[in-house]
Amino acid sequence: MHIDIKGEVTHSGSGRFGIALFLLLVILAVFAPFLAGYDPTAQSAEALKSPSFGHLLGTNHVGQDIWSQLLYGARSSLLVGLSVAFLATLLSAVIGASAALVGGLYDSFVMRVVDALIVIPVIVVLILVAAYIQPGLWVLIILLALLGWQGGARIVRAQALSLKEGMHVSAARCFGAGKVYLIFRHILPDLSPILLVELIYSLRRAVFLEAGLAFIGISDPGIVSWGMMMREALEFSYLDVWIWWLLPAGIALSLTIVSITFLGHALEPAMDPRLRGEASA
Amino acid sequence: MFSKRNLTIYATALLLILALNFLLPRLMPGDPLTAIYGEDALVQMTPELQASLVERFSLDKSLWQQFGAYFAALFQGDLGYSYNFKEPVFNVILGRLPWTLLLVGLSLVLSTLLGILLGIESGWRRGDRADKTMLGALMALNGFPDFFLGMVLLLVFGVTLGILPLAGATTPYSGLSGGALVLDVLKHLVLPLAALTLAHLAGGYLLTRNTMITVLKEPYMLTARAKGLSSRLLKFRHAGRNAMLPVITMTGVWLGRVVMGALFIEIIFSYPGLGYLTYEALLVRDYPVIQGVFLLGAVLVLAANFLVDLSYPRVNPRIRHAH
Repeated sequence: MHIDIKGEVTHSGSGRFGIALFLLLVILAVFAPFLAGYDPTAQSAEALKSPSFGHLLGTNHVGQDIWSQLLYGARSSLLVGLSVAFLATLLSAVIGASAALVGGLYDSFVMRVVDALIVIPVIVVLILVAAYIQPGLWVLIILLALLGWQGGARIVRAQALSLKEGMHVSAARCFGAGKVYLIFRHILPDLSPILLVELIYSLRRAVFLEAGLAFIGISDPGIVSWGMMMREALEFSYLDVWIWWLLPAGIALSLTIVSITFLGHALEPAMDPRLRGEASA
Repeated sequence: MFSKRNLTIYATALLLILALNFLLPRLMPGDPLTAIYGEDALVQMTPELQASLVERFSLDKSLWQQFGAYFAALFQGDLGYSYNFKEPVFNVILGRLPWTLLLVGLSLVLSTLLGILLGIESGWRRGDRADKTMLGALMALNGFPDFFLGMVLLLVFGVTLGILPLAGATTPYSGLSGGALVLDVLKHLVLPLAALTLAHLAGGYLLTRNTMITVLKEPYMLTARAKGLSSRLLKFRHAGRNAMLPVITMTGVWLGRVVMGALFIEIIFSYPGLGYLTYEALLVRDYPVIQGVFLLGAVLVLAANFLVDLSYPRVNPRIRHAH
């Protein structure tokens, strides 16, 4: 199970493309305050202006600079996406691995909870809960993480179970290795490729859900988000403004998801070596 | 094969869903009646009506008795009353269901068939130019959220070109009937259907392609080739059929998401299905309707998963014989 993750990604065209695009987005998000030129929430009298040198992508219905909103939208999208991905993967890892290593009643209990959560439709639950509590940014992140760890936990558990019985682990045990040593030295490192793939899938899902929820209006209205921009822009679809208002937000969101998809695809052969024979696209 | 264990899983999931639906409004701070019906509805109520509702939900009794009352009402198909639509929730949902079934059902069939065909072709030619082009294009398409695809289609074909209707499922007050009505419905269906099909196409395609590549390396493929079978037969009968299995599972699971499957698309095109209903209810906080749709959606997902579990041994003999 020792897999060269870096090599797997950098040797495939789609992996390099995904990484480059994603890094570009991260850079834009991090340096948003320097690149924006305007406060994305500051309203002005110059509403619905066409693109000009002052406003690269024009202004929206309350005179906010769309280019600045686009940059800050990347921040919310990546902040929510990455936080949810890390939290959910952490939950998957801790719960899945502990179920495999502890076993017994704890294992069966945890896995029944996982089974039940897997068949529950996440987006429907999210909408119901959000309709009642109208979550802010951090509540949304926690909600998305709490509803997104179960699939990963099952995979991690299966992997940890087979690792536990692996030759090299038995060998190390024979040489007198302790439990803690085994976990940190042999089990966790070998789980890392699976966790990485899990991280990427959660990231993709979280970015999509954040935008989707903002699009239907269940999100913190004070936070600039691509989904929110698209919802507002759609109301002015009878004007030409959608070309520099709606399209950039939608394309930015799509590019983010595409970059994550390509990254995930590049990692697939690492998970399933049977796919490796193909010339990588 | 099918076991008691599976049944327990689905029972637990159903119980979790019912509990969530029951507890959420009752755990909200403030008056539970407000949380159940929404503030707007309560303003219109007379004190007598409020008192009768308190009695109906057993709100003056313990939580357990309330759950009992809730459960009993559900069993009689009573999902509550929507003050927004002035109709029982059950009827509201029933009125919207056909539109969602039409839209999501058709798109599911189209995207699955197309996805399988393209996936078989692409997997068969893995590594060559056609495969790479298709893979790149569909993976990029996979990144486009369905609501963005829908908006672009709406803006290009509906607003700019003006050749297809912008919203709704029929032309209101047109009084059409017969063939003209069918044509009208189809015209309204084209854009949302295209958006939904495009958005779901990549899932089936990628899955088929991956399985195809794995299947092509199986020893039985070598045997079939050695027997001198034509490549058409190899591609579809031997490899393709086996590569379809996971897609069938996926489609089965998707079938369960019929209620919310077109949520965003229905909102964009104001298509009067269950997704748009949820959105309307969300805007005015019509809680009984949201809860009703949630329950229906969740139960359908459970039922679809259940059926997939049941049918899998039939489709895949390897599982049947493993037990």
